[in-house]
Order: sequence, then structure tokens, then C-alpha cells
Amino acid sequence: MSRSGLSCPGCGSSNIVDDDLYCQAQLVCVDCGSVVSEGALTNESVYVGASDVSYSRTTAGDKKPCMNLLKGRHHVIAMCRILRVNREIEDLSQTFYSRAYQHKSFIRVTLRKKEFLAGCCVLVSCRMRQWPVTIGTISCLLDADLVEVGAVYKEMVTVLNIEAPSFNIYDVIEAHSQEYKISLHVAEELAENHKDLTKRAVELVELAADTWVVTGRQPVPVIMAAIYLSWQSLKPNRHRLKLSLDKFCQLAKVKKQKPAAIRVTEMKEVLCKLGKEIPWLGETLTPDNVVCQVEDILKHRYALLRRALRAREEALLPESLASCEASPPRAPEVSDPNPAESPVERHKRSAEGTLAPGDEAGQPRMAGELAGGALESPDEGSNWGARALFAPPCVVHAKRRRVEQPELRDVTGDEEISDSEIDSYIRTPREAREFAQMQNMFLE
Amino acid sequence: MDESALERYFDDSIANESDFLLGEELDLQSPPPPGKGPAPSRGVQVAEELDLSFLPDELSSRDEQSRHDNTADSQIVPLDVSQDSGISGDYNSQDATAESEQGPSMSGPGTGVSPFYPMTPMTPMTPMTPVTEKSGIIPQLQNIVSTVNLGCPLDLKFIALQARNAEYNPKRFAAVIMRIREPRTTTLIFSSGKMVCTGAKSEDQSRLAARKYARVVQKLGFPARFMDFKIQNMVASCDVCFPIRLEGLVLTHRQFSSYEPELFPGLIYRMVKPRIVLLIFVSGKVVLTGAKEREEIYEAFENIYPILRGFRKQ
Repeated sequence: MSRSGLSCPGCGSSNIVDDDLYCQAQLVCVDCGSVVSEGALTNESVYVGASDVSYSRTTAGDKKPCMNLLKGRHHVIAMCRILRVNREIEDLSQTFYSRAYQHKSFIRVTLRKKEFLAGCCVLVSCRMRQWPVTIGTISCLLDADLVEVGAVYKEMVTVLNIEAPSFNIYDVIEAHSQEYKISLHVAEELAENHKDLTKRAVELVELAADTWVVTGRQPVPVIMAAIYLSWQSLKPNRHRLKLSLDKFCQLAKVKKQKPAAIRVTEMKEVLCKLGKEIPWLGETLTPDNVVCQVEDILKHRYALLRRALRAREEALLPESLASCEASPPRAPEVSDPNPAESPVERHKRSAEGTLAPGDEAGQPRMAGELAGGALESPDEGSNWGARALFAPPCVVHAKRRRVEQPELRDVTGDEEISDSEIDSYIRTPREAREFAQMQNMFLE
Repeated sequence: MDESALERYFDDSIANESDFLLGEELDLQSPPPPGKGPAPSRGVQVAEELDLSFLPDELSSRDEQSRHDNTADSQIVPLDVSQDSGISGDYNSQDATAESEQGPSMSGPGTGVSPFYPMTPMTPMTPMTPVTEKSGIIPQLQNIVSTVNLGCPLDLKFIALQARNAEYNPKRFAAVIMRIREPRTTTLIFSSGKMVCTGAKSEDQSRLAARKYARVVQKLGFPARFMDFKIQNMVASCDVCFPIRLEGLVLTHRQFSSYEPELFPGLIYRMVKPRIVLLIFVSGKVVLTGAKEREEIYEAFENIYPILRGFRKQ
């Protein structure tokens, strides 16, 4: 190929060709054979400019993973080992952690937050594989605030688009009851084996869940209250009954949660309401003596629930009839549940005679239904919670809100604004001067 | 079942014009009546293949609720759609007659025996009046957040000095906090001239309050204008008056709800259409937020109410 524009210095001809035979490219004149120009000693195509060579392109090897990512992975493994989860969960949390770490919302956060992230990955993997762990446990491991860890958990779940199963209190009860050191190293009357304790605690939590004590509340105090009551009722001797919740937690070497005492009261209230329906019980039940009856109440809880709800319904019936007449538009709503309830009622009447355990088998679903159905009594404004037999405590003890007076609310937004009103918001010159002086005085 | 297929058919006939109708009718009329089995299934099937997502939600929710007794609806008069209840009443009666005619034939529309003309809908339907069992509960607006641009840079120190109702602490936050008594609102005024007004209970009140703040700034000597007033967020709350099993709700609506009792006692429901976040509590109180228009709030509540009611009976 001849190059235009070049002429051989030797013979002047323009017949110059590229000679690629040798390792260096040369421009050679065809006629006289002299070399017009040689290629550069270096391979220019690779080095654009001799000085601009970055370290990573020449000497550095493969990009090493970030140190913090490795440390984080170790954290994850450490937490998995402490919690003694199985291999699958460990691998899953590793995957989540690597994914989350690289994501833009987590790559630049503080190291502490990355630690939280590690804990949250473990948490979400445990949830997905039905291994019960609470956020409280994870925040304990991380020595952090529950709310902060919760915030990181929520962010992570959204960012990674994971559909994690929601929290299920029953999974956690058994794990928690293992913590209570109540089987060995305690006095004979106070010792209890874990299996019985857990079984009864589960029944108590089920009852509490049916009667609105559990929904919306922190789960751990509920579990604590259930375990305390189940421990007391398994052998209701005077030693156990005398022990308060505080002392029980000290005995079992568990940190007491403040709301647990309130949960104990609420559960005892529920038990009293149910215990009232026991036909063979002569005495009136108070929160003090109800613990002895807990075993019977739990054994027949569904039947007792039905009886209690029906008794309450019958008590309310004249009231609701009156309200039916008073407000016809409400009629469809009130009559709506009645068709659903009448077959249940007929069932109840047939099963009424004995409180045999056979009752419970087919009835739990209906009892749940009934609990849901009988609780509705839509009321125009007054506290419907006070009328229902079982209602969420926040409704029963409703806070009295300051009712904001509506005043004039036909504002159009384009009204005239009076000057005097605006002037009332502006300081007079004298006021402004005094204020300025006072500020100066403070600043000195 | 057949009436919902009927209603869906109506939706289709309104939404898609003649081609579809003709094809449908011919399709369904050609097989003889004994094919009652295939006809409704085909009618239903074709309707289900159609993408109805562009229709307003009331129509799709209407289907599942039309099974309830609708006659009570005409008596329940919601407060601000009073003139529309007449139409819904009309539609009810027409629907009922249509139903009774369709009842014996037990098939989708378009079979030879029915006197129905699927081409023309019975009444001119306005999509905004859903024929549902209305909840009868109106969410009350609690807070409106709006922004406005005053259009001129402001001297915050001067404003804090001259105005009685202003606070300014530059070390803590770079804006003046000003309050007025009527409507009871608070505003943040930034040195760029932009302003955020919060605390009003209605859109008009928010606008009036923002104008008052602009007037105050004007009186202080700045050439303030009132540009780009926009409502950014609306918060409303209401009470359904029955307890709600949040654990159950999170199981059935997993992709929308998040319930962590350890973190927050309420369930956070992120509705997709309209894009509203609802906080649902066990007491039955519901807080709706994230709306830019009042209608979004009402729509969101009407969407969630049947779900919550469904829960209560379980």
C-alpha cells in the first residue's frame, strides 16, 4: 500500500510502502529501498500517553472484595452459630447479606448500620425457614435498640424485595420458655418441667389471642405473662401463688418486661369472665382465686367462650332491638350477622347439655366465628368496646380525645384577609426595638 | 355468579366499542341454548381475559358485592353523593329486573332466549357512583401539607425580628417557623422564598392559611407573590367500629401489608391503586395518608372497608 504525502529522502519517489515483515512497522521506499521511517520502539496502541497508566491496570491483581464485606460475612456466620441455626439458614443469610451490602442504599452507610444489616439478614432468613427468632433477640445480639434494628430490617426487606412471612407468636413461645431456668436448681414446690409449662402457656396465649389481648401488643411480655400464669396454675400451692411476677422472673433468671404485669391482669380478667360460666363453681371468681381454676377453664375454654358470648348477647338483645327500631338504616347490618349466628346457636343448644371435651373438636372454628360475629354491634359514637364482652383493651379503656370544635368550616380559600388580622401578627416598631435589645443582651 | 358475569360484560361493552360487542354477540348466539354450560363459562372467560385495570376500582369491587342485598343501599344516603343515589337506585331496580329475566335462563348474555340487548347498557352509567354496599363512614381529614413559592428571597432574621408569631433558630434549622391562629396552622419559611404550610384540616383552609402567611411576609416589606400552591400530602382518619384481626389480615394480604407487633402496634397497608398508605389498628381505627386529592382517600377507604369487614366475620 503506497502512502500519499511522503517522499523518499533518498530518491524522491512517492512510492512508499508499509513493511510489516519485521516486528517493527517500517515505511520503505520501493525504488531505492531506504527506510523512510521506523515505528516507535514502544507499542503505541496500548499506551496512549506514556505517563497515564493507572495502578489497577498494570500491577494490581484482581479486585479484592471489600474488607468490611468480609467482616460482615463473619458477623453473619457468628450470629448464625450463636443462634444454632441450620446450614440452610446460614447460607441464605450469607446470600442476602452479599446482595444487600452491594445495594446502593447500604454500600455507604456507617459500619454500625452494616452490623445491623447483618443481623437483619439472619432474622429474615430465620423467618423464611420457620425458625423462630424475634427482633428483640437480634437486637440483643447486636446490643442495639430494637427500633433502630427494626428500621434497618424494614428498609432491607423493601430494597431486596423479599416477601418475608410475618411474625407468628406461637413459634416463639417454646424457644422463650426454654430460657426460664425453672426446672432445676429451684425448690421442689417451685420446679416445673418445660414441656408442661410450654403446653399450658400455648393454650393461654391462644385464649388471649381469641380475646384480643395479643393483637397489636409486644409479643414477649404476653409470652412472659402466659408462662407465669401457667407456672402458677400447674401447681397452685401457696408458695407459687405468693410469688409475684417480679420474684418469678428473678427466680427464673429472666429480665422482667414492664408490660408483662398488665398482661397478667388482662389475662386474669379474661379467665374470670370465662370462669364465671363454669356451672359447678359456687364461689365468685376474682383475679386472686382464678389461678386455681385455670386448668378447668383451659380444658373447656371453647365451650365457656360460647356460653359467655351467648349470655352477653342475651343481655344485650333488648337493647339492640330498641336500637334496631330507632335507626332503620342500621338494620341490615345488625340483622346481617344474625343469620350467621342462628345456625351456630342451634348447634350450641344441641351441645349445651354437657361440657364434654367432645365439644371442643368441631367448635373452635365456630367459636372464633362467633367471637368475631358477636363482637360487632356498630354503635353511633358511644363506646362499642364497653358493650362487647371481649374487646381490645385499647377500645375498652378508650382515651378521651379532646374534641376539636369544628367552628366555621365553610372556608373557600379565596376569602378576603383583613388587614387588622395580619397586623396583629406583626410587631410594633417599639416592640421590635426592645426585642432586638433583649436579644443583644442575651448574646453578650 | 351470573350477575357478576353480566356486569363484567357490561363493563366490557362500554369500554370496548362495537367490534368486540359484535364478535361477542355472534359468538355467544351461534351455539344453541343447550350449551348453557359452555356459554356462561365462555362469556365469563372472555370477560376475564380482558384487562379491566383501566376501569375505576369501584366497578371491579362492585362485582363481588352485588351479591349482597342492594335494596338497603337506596336508604343509606352518603353525605356528599346525595344526588347520585338516585342513579344508583335506578340501576338497582334495572339490575334486579335484568336479573330476574336472566335467572331462569342461567346463562351469560347473548343467548337467543333472553330479551336482553347487550349492545346498549340499561342506564348511562357514571363510573363514579359505584353500586356497592357503601360503608357509610367518611374519613375525616386531619392534616394537609402544602407548599407555595413566594417568589423572592427572604431575610429570615428580619422576619423573626419583626413578626410576633415567628421563631428562628439558625443553629437548629434553617427556616423560620411561623404560626397563625385561624386556621390553626404552622409554616416553615425558607430563605429562598419557598414555604411549607401544615396543620390545616381542609384544602381550602390550607390555601387560606398560606395566603395569610404570604400577606404577613408582604406586610413586612418583601415583594411576596403566591405562586405554585400545591397540596403535597393529606392525612385522614376514621373508625370502622369493630375489632380487626391484624394477624389474619397480614396473612391474606401479604404483598401489601406489613405487621410487626414488636415495632409498631398497627398494620401498615400499602395500597397500590390509589397509592395510599393505611395504618390499620386492632381497635378498628384507620389512618390514611399519602394522598394528593381528597378522592384518593375516599377511594382507598372504600377499597379497604370490604376487606376489613370480610375479616370481621371470619
